[in-house]
Amino acid sequence: MNFNRRILGKLAIGLLGASMLGQGAAMAQDRPAPFDKPEEVEIALVRYLSTGDFFQAYLSGVEAQAKALGVNLRVLDSRQDAALQADMVDQAIALGVDGIIIQHGLTESMKAAAQRAVDAGIKVVAFDVNVENEAIPQIEQSDRDLARLALEQAIKDNGESWKAAYVYVAGIAPLDRRDETWREFKEKYPGIEEVAQFGTLDNPIANSVANQARSVLTANPDIQVVFAPYDEFAKGVKIAVDEAGMSDAIKIYSADISTADISAMREPGSAWAATAATNPAVVGEVSVRALALLLAGEDPGRSVIVPPTLITQAELNEQDIKNMEELGQKLPQFAHADVVVPDWMPLPPRD
Amino acid sequence: MDATAGKDKEKSVLDGGARKTGMNMRDLAIRYGFLTLLVGLIVFFSFFTRGFASPQAAVFILQSVSITGILALGVTATLVVGGFDLSIGSIATSAMMAAAYVMVVMEQNALVAVIACLAIGAIVGLINGLIICYMRVPDLLATLGMMFLLIGLQRIPTEGRSIAAGMTLPDGSTAPGQFSASFLALGRHRFDFFLPNLVPASVVVLIVLAILIWFFLEYTRFGRMMYAVGSNARAAEFAGAPVKAYKIWAYVISGIFASIGGILLAARLGRGDIASGNNLLLDAVAAALIGFAVLGAAKPNAFGTAIGALFVGVLLQGLTMMNVPYYTQDFVKGAVLMIALMFTFALSARNAR
Repeated sequence: MNFNRRILGKLAIGLLGASMLGQGAAMAQDRPAPFDKPEEVEIALVRYLSTGDFFQAYLSGVEAQAKALGVNLRVLDSRQDAALQADMVDQAIALGVDGIIIQHGLTESMKAAAQRAVDAGIKVVAFDVNVENEAIPQIEQSDRDLARLALEQAIKDNGESWKAAYVYVAGIAPLDRRDETWREFKEKYPGIEEVAQFGTLDNPIANSVANQARSVLTANPDIQVVFAPYDEFAKGVKIAVDEAGMSDAIKIYSADISTADISAMREPGSAWAATAATNPAVVGEVSVRALALLLAGEDPGRSVIVPPTLITQAELNEQDIKNMEELGQKLPQFAHADVVVPDWMPLPPRD
Repeated sequence: MDATAGKDKEKSVLDGGARKTGMNMRDLAIRYGFLTLLVGLIVFFSFFTRGFASPQAAVFILQSVSITGILALGVTATLVVGGFDLSIGSIATSAMMAAAYVMVVMEQNALVAVIACLAIGAIVGLINGLIICYMRVPDLLATLGMMFLLIGLQRIPTEGRSIAAGMTLPDGSTAPGQFSASFLALGRHRFDFFLPNLVPASVVVLIVLAILIWFFLEYTRFGRMMYAVGSNARAAEFAGAPVKAYKIWAYVISGIFASIGGILLAARLGRGDIASGNNLLLDAVAAALIGFAVLGAAKPNAFGTAIGALFVGVLLQGLTMMNVPYYTQDFVKGAVLMIALMFTFALSARNAR
């Protein structure tokens, strides 16, 4: 969905620019400073993670919203180097940007750097990293809600007692938050019995998880539900379930979504029953809007939560959704989030 | 890889004939220790886990190591000539991306995809070999550079996205093609073997390639010359062997094997996944190094590599079935490798005396 939208965005901006050369200035003047002169505003996106569809889509959302506002965007990518990411914040400070979005990272390395930026008078928002700073709003995709939606669907489909396998790797912030919800559910529904736990981040992740899942399924052929709260995990489990010929006996519940996931969920007889997801592009847009609000002197609040959507196999089949594009068109709640949308805020074109 | 190791290897080869007469317990331990350990592990897991001792389990253990096993066989060829190939993991993932790109974006059939992958493997291997032999870049550095190059290159056509049927392309349109059924069969088809639908195609490919490269290295003149180049390149050169050609061929073999691994990976996943392949590289190298210890060979050998890969597979799948968490598995993998290396080098040291 991201790209089409980006192109559309470009077109729209181009048209807007061409047709409104005269009145454009007047329109921008209705906005609070500094967005009355957006071309003088520069924001920086300082990334920790960038490889993969999720982060690519997030970036496209950031770009779309920055374009809609007309501000300059600078992308600094540390490629999973925590120390470099902190240096990049300092670099952004030195460049004299007006606002910074910190995207992922480690609390330990980013806390001091974020404080330096705030001290330098720069507005900062953080996505999916807790920098322990009152002045910095947290953008969250609410991992707890993601896990809750998927698990509620699992309860709805399978009743309150089943044998489960759980895929988890500790130490990854979003997975840890999803894990909290899983623990709560196990307490709330004592009928859920976790007979096996596994997981790995060895890449290609789906392949490594498939190998593990294959062993787990052989050792525990009575598993009914696999909770795999990350789509790469779910993909791996699905491969293993297919290879073991157990698609009828097992249901997979996960989090996150991509075009490849949609086709895997829609394969005939697929065990992948449902997933809960936030649209990463929307999270990107919301990150920029929250920062814009701060720059305009308004308060987006201490934490900005982008609500997730539940996507079931049945829904995908009924509406014949084949990729992320169509998912956005046919499930509008997935394509847009009315989070941080004051009247003056220009939004990326919605198709 | 270095000169002293080469000399040690040479000695162990020379000593081989003399040693056979006086085989004591220690020789036996070094020779058959690893195989005994493998059998012991299989017995242990059969008793302590449910479902381990079944033909299905045997097959999926082989399947779990088929891709790293194939890569390991390729890297064995470079180890034989005294080289090393760090780029195999990224060749495999690049081939995976290429296969997906050829089918999903360019709408070609399975055959074209396979040929494109093999060509990439061969070309990358050739470039590696040329850089190492003619530009005199050390093998580790040349292939390290190639690794980074490929990790980046595989992302350029799709601007960093994974490739799946129905994906949105950088220009905004939707990808028209999809994975052809016959290509997917490479990863998913199962041959009947006593039981119906038992042996996956990837396992068959692994076994065929293992036998091929084993025969090639042990019994053909070309293979024996590669060993000669590896143990003493200068001596081989004085003897009139085209050393550079043998080395280049080793990298081409390594590249082609890695691309076959990539084809199987793409067929199993059914999409082109953005991945560096570093885990594939490390597991493959571990299997090849463990292989040094098998039958007390103390040198790279295809049979040992296959057993090494199998050993890691049995261990990891068995532990997973016992519900052992993932982080202990890396520990165990490391421990096995250390033990194998001690087997190998203790043997070499003894022979050097």
